[in-house]
Parts: sequence; C-alpha cells; structure tokens
Amino acid sequence: MNTLLRIDEVCESTIIRIGRIAAWVSILLIVVIIFDVVTRRFFVLGSTKLQELEWHIHAVLFMFCLGYGYVKNAHVRIDLVREKLSERKRLWIELIGCLFFLIPYSFIVIYHGIDWWNRSFQLNEVSASATGLPYRWIIKAILPIGFAVLLVSGVTTAIRKILQLFGPPEIREIVNQREKKQAVRLDEAEIPEERP
Amino acid sequence: MLDIFIDYMPLFMFLVLAILLFSGYPVAAVLGGVGLGFGYLGVYLDVFVPIEFFNIVGRIWSGIADNLVLVAIPMFIFMGTMLEKSGVARDLLYCLQVLLRRVPGGLALSVTAMGTIMAATTGIIGASVVMMTLMALPIMLQRQYSVPLATGTIAASGTLGILIPPSIMLVIMADLLGRSVGNLFVAAVFPGLLLASIYGIYILTISALKPEVAPSLPKDIGPKDNKEFWVMILRGLVPPVFLIVLVLGSIIAGWATPTEASGVGAAGAILLALINGRLNITTLRTVVERSALTGAMLFFIFIGATAFSYVFRSLGGDDLVIDFVESTGFGPWGILFILMGIVFVLGFFFDWIEITLIVLPVFAPIIALLDFGDHVAKVDLVYWFAILVAVNLQTSFLTPPFGFALFYMKGVAPPSVKIQQIYRGIVPFVLLQVIGLSLVMVFPEIALWLPNKLLD
Repeated sequence: MNTLLRIDEVCESTIIRIGRIAAWVSILLIVVIIFDVVTRRFFVLGSTKLQELEWHIHAVLFMFCLGYGYVKNAHVRIDLVREKLSERKRLWIELIGCLFFLIPYSFIVIYHGIDWWNRSFQLNEVSASATGLPYRWIIKAILPIGFAVLLVSGVTTAIRKILQLFGPPEIREIVNQREKKQAVRLDEAEIPEERP
Repeated sequence: MLDIFIDYMPLFMFLVLAILLFSGYPVAAVLGGVGLGFGYLGVYLDVFVPIEFFNIVGRIWSGIADNLVLVAIPMFIFMGTMLEKSGVARDLLYCLQVLLRRVPGGLALSVTAMGTIMAATTGIIGASVVMMTLMALPIMLQRQYSVPLATGTIAASGTLGILIPPSIMLVIMADLLGRSVGNLFVAAVFPGLLLASIYGIYILTISALKPEVAPSLPKDIGPKDNKEFWVMILRGLVPPVFLIVLVLGSIIAGWATPTEASGVGAAGAILLALINGRLNITTLRTVVERSALTGAMLFFIFIGATAFSYVFRSLGGDDLVIDFVESTGFGPWGILFILMGIVFVLGFFFDWIEITLIVLPVFAPIIALLDFGDHVAKVDLVYWFAILVAVNLQTSFLTPPFGFALFYMKGVAPPSVKIQQIYRGIVPFVLLQVIGLSLVMVFPEIALWLPNKLLD
C-alpha cells in the first residue's frame, strides 16, 4: 500500500512538473508570433520557418499538458448523472474508465506512434516546404512522449482509485487530500480584487 | 442478423458513445475508447483493418499538431484569461456602467455591451457566464434591479461570446469544414451585432415602460470631476476596446491571419495588465497554467474525436447518414430544420466543444448535399450554416429547464436568487434569440453580405 502511495506521489509530481514547464512555452509562442508579424512587415525574411516553429511550439504546449490536465481534473465531464452517484460508484467508474478507455487508447497511440516516428527518423524527414525547418522527426517525437505522460497519468489515477476503494482509511484520507489539493475547475472564475 | 449489425455499426457507435458519456468519465477519453473498441469489433467482424489504427496517429498529427490555424486557439484563450485575471475586464465593466448611467436600464445595457466587447473570454460557456454573474449580478441586485431582468441579461450576454469573433468555436468550425477562419469571423460580425442590438432594444424598452424593474443609478456614481472621468475612460475603456478592435480589425481588413492577430492579442493583453499595474509573477503564472489546462482540455477532445470519427467513417458512417437523410424525402429546408433540431437538443447536455467536434464531421457531407437555389449561393452555404449553428447553440444553452448556462449562473448567484426567477428572466431573451435566428435564416445576407463585400 505504501509503495503504491509513493509511486502515485512520484508520478503526480513528475506529470505536474512537466505540464507546468510546458505551459510556459505559450510565452515563447507569443514572442515568435510577434517576431514573425513584425519582421514580415518591415524586412522581407522567409517566414515559413517561423510559422512552422509556431505550430511546433503549439504541439509541445498541448501534448505535454494532456496528462497534466487529467491529474488536475481539468478535462470536461458530463456531470448530469455522475453528481447523483455515490462516492464509491464514482470511484469505480473512474477506475474502469482508466482501465478500458484512457490506458488502452494511450497505449495504442504510443505503440503506433513509435512506429510512425521511426519512419520519419529513418527517412530523415524534413519539412515539405523547401524553406521549412529540418529534422521533422524531432518534433514528431512529441506525440508518443506526450501520450506516454498521459498514460502515466491514467496508471497513477487507477492506482489512486484502487487505494481509495480498497485501502485502509488513513491511506484513503491521504489520497483524497492529494486529489483535492490539485483539482481545478476551469468553469470556475474568481474576480480579481478591486483597485484600492 | 450479423449483416444488419455490421451495416448499422456506426449507429451503435453513437448510441454507445451517448450512454457512456453520461458515466461522467472525461469526454475525450470516452471518445477515444469507443473509437478503439468499435475498431477492434470491426477487426473481429472483418470490416476494419488493424493498420488503420496507424492511420489515426497520422491523422491526429496532421489534423491537430501540423496545423497553423489551430495555433490561434491557445493564443485567444491566453488573451481572454489574461484580460479576466488581470482585472482589465472588471475595470471595463465599471467604465461602461458610468458611461451609461443616465440611460434607462443602463446597468443591464453595460452588461450587454461588455458581453459584446469581451467575447474573447476563455471560450468555455460556463466560465464566461460565471465571470459575468460574479461581476455584474451583485451590483444589479444592490441597485434594486428586478431579479429576472438582471439574470436574463447576464446569461444572454455572457453566452454571446460563442458567436462574436474572436470566438474559438468559429476557429474550430472553420477548420473542420475546411473554410477560412477569417471569412467565418467576418460572417459572424453582423449576426452578433444584431443579437446584441435586439437585447439592447428590449432592455431599453422594458426599462422605459417599467422603470421599477431597472431603477436608474444615483447621480453621484462614478468620478467626481471631469478630469477623473477622462482618466478613468483612458485607463479602463480605451485600451481594451483598442485591443479588441485591433485584433478583429486586422483580421477583417485582411492585414493579418487569425493566428497572427491572436498572438498580437495575447501580447496586447499582457501589455494592458502591465499598464494597469496588475502584472506580477503570480498573475502571470495563473494565466499561463490555466490557459494551458484549457487548451489541453480542448485538444484532448479534439484528439479523441479524431479517433472516433475515423472509425465511424471507416465503418461506413458517412454513407449511412446520407442514405438516411435522402430516405426521409425532405427538401433542403426540412433537412436544415432536422439538423438544427439535433444541435438544439444536444445543446441541453453538451458544451459546444463536444458538439462541434463530434457532430460537425458527421453533418459536413449532408451540408454539401443541400441546395437552397437562389436563397443562398452554394459557395456561401457553409458559412451561413455555421452561423446558424452558433446562434442555435447559444439559444439552446439558455433554454429552460436544461440550458446549462442557467445552472452555472445559479451556482454562483446569491442564495436569494431562485432558479424560477432565472427561468422567468431568460424567456424574453430566448424569444429574442429565436427572432435573431429566424432573421438570419430568412435573410442570409445578414451573415453573407460583409464577407462578400470585402472579398470584392
């Protein structure tokens, strides 16, 4: 039990750390777009490279945040029935969902994704555009890696649900606290303080 | 028996999806899982080849990652989140209230104006409605506004954002239907303004006829002298309006692509926060992390829906849908009403994200079949249809007893506000929505005139 608890802790903090770092690339994306807009208007530079860089950054941003979103409970759910169910039923649904939806789906995407990436690597694929970015396989690796993070988030959630369903009360309490601490609701808003 | 099952497998896919979505497990994972499950079932029944799973990976990549148009989405989310969290939105609402203080129903009108200008908030209906409720409802109640008028105005104005550009929904719709985002934005301008103005006319009329539902504000509200007044306008009103006009204007005028404009908008929002003295590392971190989570939520559904629609098509879903539509024997108007009815009912249960990503790919081949003759030119049909869907969805989110914008509002309103009052307040606005929707249906020029004019 304690080993599982420890595994969960490590997985969670790793996923959150990856997500938090990836989140900051949005600032980089803003900078690149502004640079692209400005340079195109004033000097004529080839901007194909910059535009490709833009979607490269975007891919990093959302692929690395998929697992982060799950750990933070940010993914959309249809709550209509769920909110009427008992705590234990919800735990079972989450466990079954992880085992039959999230984990197999991530696994299949990773399995074929590695093959797909490998083809790109073997061919030493570059941009289809003559003035585009080289080494397309570097960015393509994001897909299997991002899904691996998502897979880990599914595994660690399944571990949690098992602990919450079958663990002794004190371990359940620890897991509950951990979950509560991380959860964010995207549909909740808070209004910043009024100006003094 | 088995043959019939195979023929109707895409239909079963939808049924199973609908049932499993109500389990409350994240929508994106259910979509992916059901796609996968039916793929394997298809392999077992010899109607699907395992290598097609490999194609799904390529589809996810080329459709979602290797796609410059979609880069606009995280940027618009960033812009909206920054304007909200940095307090720029709040200051704007205050300015509008002061400006409209002498007009009957001024507070309600300021909320509608706010919904029109700040359409760029995060893009999630729940978040926009909650933000508007928290900002505007307490003041309106404090000023003795009638509860139904106050809540109706806030719910209707808060959901206007899915139609008024830069709406994230329109970016996704344009991408799925293979059209230009810029053109769709342009097409949405007049329908959006039309709705905002009929709200405005309604509020003005009812406040003039029954002043007790919307008491005018005391004269002493707002700045004491002229100098303070202009400082307030220059700080609170001009910068955000300038930013929105810049972002939308550059797209409409064709100076910038939506992606470029979104990046400029995000940078501009940071700048506004900086000018207002609201930018610190905590705010920035909150905005960065929340935008990333919102983006991840949205793109995960995109990824799940890609797998689902791939398997759906591969099992013959498109043909099934087209055969079904043709067998009904309805003309183009009949089919349009059926599609609109489906979208309206789905809007009771799902947010636009699920509806556009799951249903639009299924509708796309049907829309291509429709022919309205002289009413709508064939090339314009998709834009018109997308605008109709947007107005329709907004109406659906507002319609009692399911309309979920109303539940979000109830969740954050003071306990004294009863759900019955919210229901009563929204009825006039739902009727206004129906008028707006009918106008765009009967006069497609409302949506199509501006894009055609600009293209000439």
